Amino acid sequence: MRAFLLSVLMLAGCSSPAGRPHGPTARRIVSLLPSFTEILFDIGAGDRVVGRTTWCDYPPAALAVPSVGDGIPPNIEAVAARQPDLVVLYNSGPNVTAAKQLERIGIRTVLLDVNRLEDLGPAARTLGRLTGREKIADSLAGAMDSLAARPPPPATASITFVVWDNPPIVIGRGSYLHQIAELAGARNVFADLAAPSAQVSLETIAARNPDWIAVLSDSSVMPGFAKRPEWQAVRAVRDRHFLLLPGSLFGHPGPRTAQAVSELQRLLRK
Amino acid sequence: MKWALLVTVAVLALVASVAVGPAAVPLGELLRSDIVWNLRAPRTLLAFLVGGSLGIAGAGLQALVRNPLADPFLLGLSGGAGLGAVLAIALHLSGPWALPLAAFAGALAALALVYRLGLMGGAALDPRILLLGGVAIGAFAAAITTAIVSLADASELRNAFLWLWGGLSSASWDAVLVIVLYAPIPIAVLLAASRPLDLLALGEEPARYLGADVDAVKRRVYLAASLLTAAAVAVSGVIGFVGLVVPHLARLTWGHRHRALLPAAFVGGGALLAIADTLARTVVAPRELPVGVVTALIGVPVFTLLLRRWTIA
Amino acid sequence: MNNMTEPLLRLNAVRYRYPGASSDALAGVSLSVGPGDFHAVIGPNGSGKTTLVRVALGALAPLAGSADIDGRPASRWPRQALARLVGVVPQREDNLFPQRVRETVLLGRYAHLSLWGRERPEDHAAVMRALTACDAQHLVERWVWTLSGGEYQRVRVARALAQGPRLLVLDEPAVSLDLQHEMGLFELIRGLVDTQGLGVLMITHDLNLAARFADSLLLLEGGRPIASGPPADVLTQQTVETVFSWPVRMETVDGRPQMIPLRQPKESRA
Repeated sequence: MRAFLLSVLMLAGCSSPAGRPHGPTARRIVSLLPSFTEILFDIGAGDRVVGRTTWCDYPPAALAVPSVGDGIPPNIEAVAARQPDLVVLYNSGPNVTAAKQLERIGIRTVLLDVNRLEDLGPAARTLGRLTGREKIADSLAGAMDSLAARPPPPATASITFVVWDNPPIVIGRGSYLHQIAELAGARNVFADLAAPSAQVSLETIAARNPDWIAVLSDSSVMPGFAKRPEWQAVRAVRDRHFLLLPGSLFGHPGPRTAQAVSELQRLLRK
Repeated sequence: MKWALLVTVAVLALVASVAVGPAAVPLGELLRSDIVWNLRAPRTLLAFLVGGSLGIAGAGLQALVRNPLADPFLLGLSGGAGLGAVLAIALHLSGPWALPLAAFAGALAALALVYRLGLMGGAALDPRILLLGGVAIGAFAAAITTAIVSLADASELRNAFLWLWGGLSSASWDAVLVIVLYAPIPIAVLLAASRPLDLLALGEEPARYLGADVDAVKRRVYLAASLLTAAAVAVSGVIGFVGLVVPHLARLTWGHRHRALLPAAFVGGGALLAIADTLARTVVAPRELPVGVVTALIGVPVFTLLLRRWTIA
Repeated sequence: MNNMTEPLLRLNAVRYRYPGASSDALAGVSLSVGPGDFHAVIGPNGSGKTTLVRVALGALAPLAGSADIDGRPASRWPRQALARLVGVVPQREDNLFPQRVRETVLLGRYAHLSLWGRERPEDHAAVMRALTACDAQHLVERWVWTLSGGEYQRVRVARALAQGPRLLVLDEPAVSLDLQHEMGLFELIRGLVDTQGLGVLMITHDLNLAARFADSLLLLEGGRPIASGPPADVLTQQTVETVFSWPVRMETVDGRPQMIPLRQPKESRA
């Protein structure tokens, strides 16, 4: 799987008109995912980022970069207006179409996967190659690889991530959030779901009885569904065992993932 | 006797729906299980009530517009409800009842608009205008909904559409109570209109001369069917095909006399939705399919079979 | 309640114009039908015959003059009470759903049934009586769609009879029937008038049959009454040729005038 991914990335990197193996170094980059923005800044290529999404809020210096919209779907004109020589996109169906459109107007694109933590190392290396910052990208990639490969500690609590309440949608093992939980010592009760996220029955959540319910939330207020009568069947809801995880830290897999793991560990200990 | 068979099927469907689910509850513990009492039982009952409401509303509507292809969701109500719900999500309205109330309000707004359109030809409701107006208003609401969804937060995109596809996951005893208090009146209005609907099948003028108050009947049946559908959508999103196919299935056995057809459509619709919901919960467990998908997957082949019967007969 | 000398149906100098029309559909029409009267309304297309029925039955309110049923204005009659008094066989009806003859005739009993009550033995008896009176009792279990045109019309008359009316109104009942069934239908109506003392108002385009079977005729043209009274008074050569714009020869059969249309010679056809 990783070999296939790497070859896809190599092919993506080989798409320049000049035909050279890795193409010219990118000087004006539009990043369409917060993870890529953070990596680019982290490897010292932040000054080359000329466009970002509204979600890209870290590091603080990124806020000075002009936004090209929320990126879902990418606004082709806004991106082109930044006159980039490289656009980095998250590899999804709609983004493949957007990438084709950009290529048609002569803008180089690269599509990268970032579903799980092991995708981060290769993404960093690719970005390092594209910006001529290979050495520092390599060390970042090494750190992220070892985080991904770290054996998880024994689980001391069970958890489920609830992405939406009606209908209930939870995180499965195909998502980096699952990995963050594992590394923090929390067992995802939906580890048997291969997908990154899936709709499940409320009664399944009640039956699997997680100790904690995690939601991505920037407020300190209990999520709306905490008060709904049918959710009271879940013990964690009755006991108000909610973990409110800030979106910026937990929603952007990348250089700060280790920090996210520690933060989750801290919250679990409380 | 066909009623005995229908009631048996319905009871079996309800029992199966309560006994079977992704959370394996042993049969012996069913009565004591928290999950069964707080989640499955209200969900089963709600499925029955919603399916029944859609079935009887569909039967009444098909008689009213004199078109066997009419579905309660042709009235524009689902478009209005979807718009209301999406507005609630986009505006981050809080409160456990925000979504159903907003959907209901949206459905009522669509109902008022279509009703107004239906009166355009004069003082009496014109069923053809009702159908066309319903489709138009529904499309209009759907367009606005799509615009809002495209402008709102990305994370809500998929979730808004999943809600629209229909689901009973928000079922609770509160919801069951609301429907139990609300539905009997529109259902009674429809049942009272059974004979006039039989007369209406001859045409409006013949029905009038046979003694039916045709204008009042049209108004009442339209409003009752719409109110039932609005409540169903508010509680469980758009669950298609039940209102379209169940009346036809019922007609195969009970014929066209609405005194028998309407109750049969209610019980049949309830049983069908209970079965569909059980399948939605168990077929890909622990994942769950949107129940509107299951009813379509069941409904389309059944519908095709019915069509073949008609064209061969 | 019922005054024995009061006609069942009386129109007095009725005037009606459809909303938005440029001329009156009915102007100064008077008509009286009592028990045992067979009254036929004849006239060219568009002469107002169907409008007359609608006004007579209270479906349309006259702009001038009065339309009374059993001494009371037609539009004031409660629907069900009116249906128990007047049975109507309109020109057209739909047949959306397959039905048996018994079921469709039973619809005629609607005005006698209570809201939630079931059909009673007397209702079923009324159905059989009505079918027998129409010589259609052998059709009772047949599916309506299998009936011939003539049989179907008899069933429709039976349905009107099942209402238990004292007045029968028929709008072009013999259109598209063949000779045998047409004669049969007129004989049937005549028989009902003679044996049951019903009053009958019939709209027909068949001048000869109207003249043979009806007691009185009303001839309309452009909404205006041209002539009314016994057939011999109404169907004169001059009247027919003027109103229908066609040369005819008059004969007498059974003491009733019969008109025979002449062929136009080639020279005079413009």
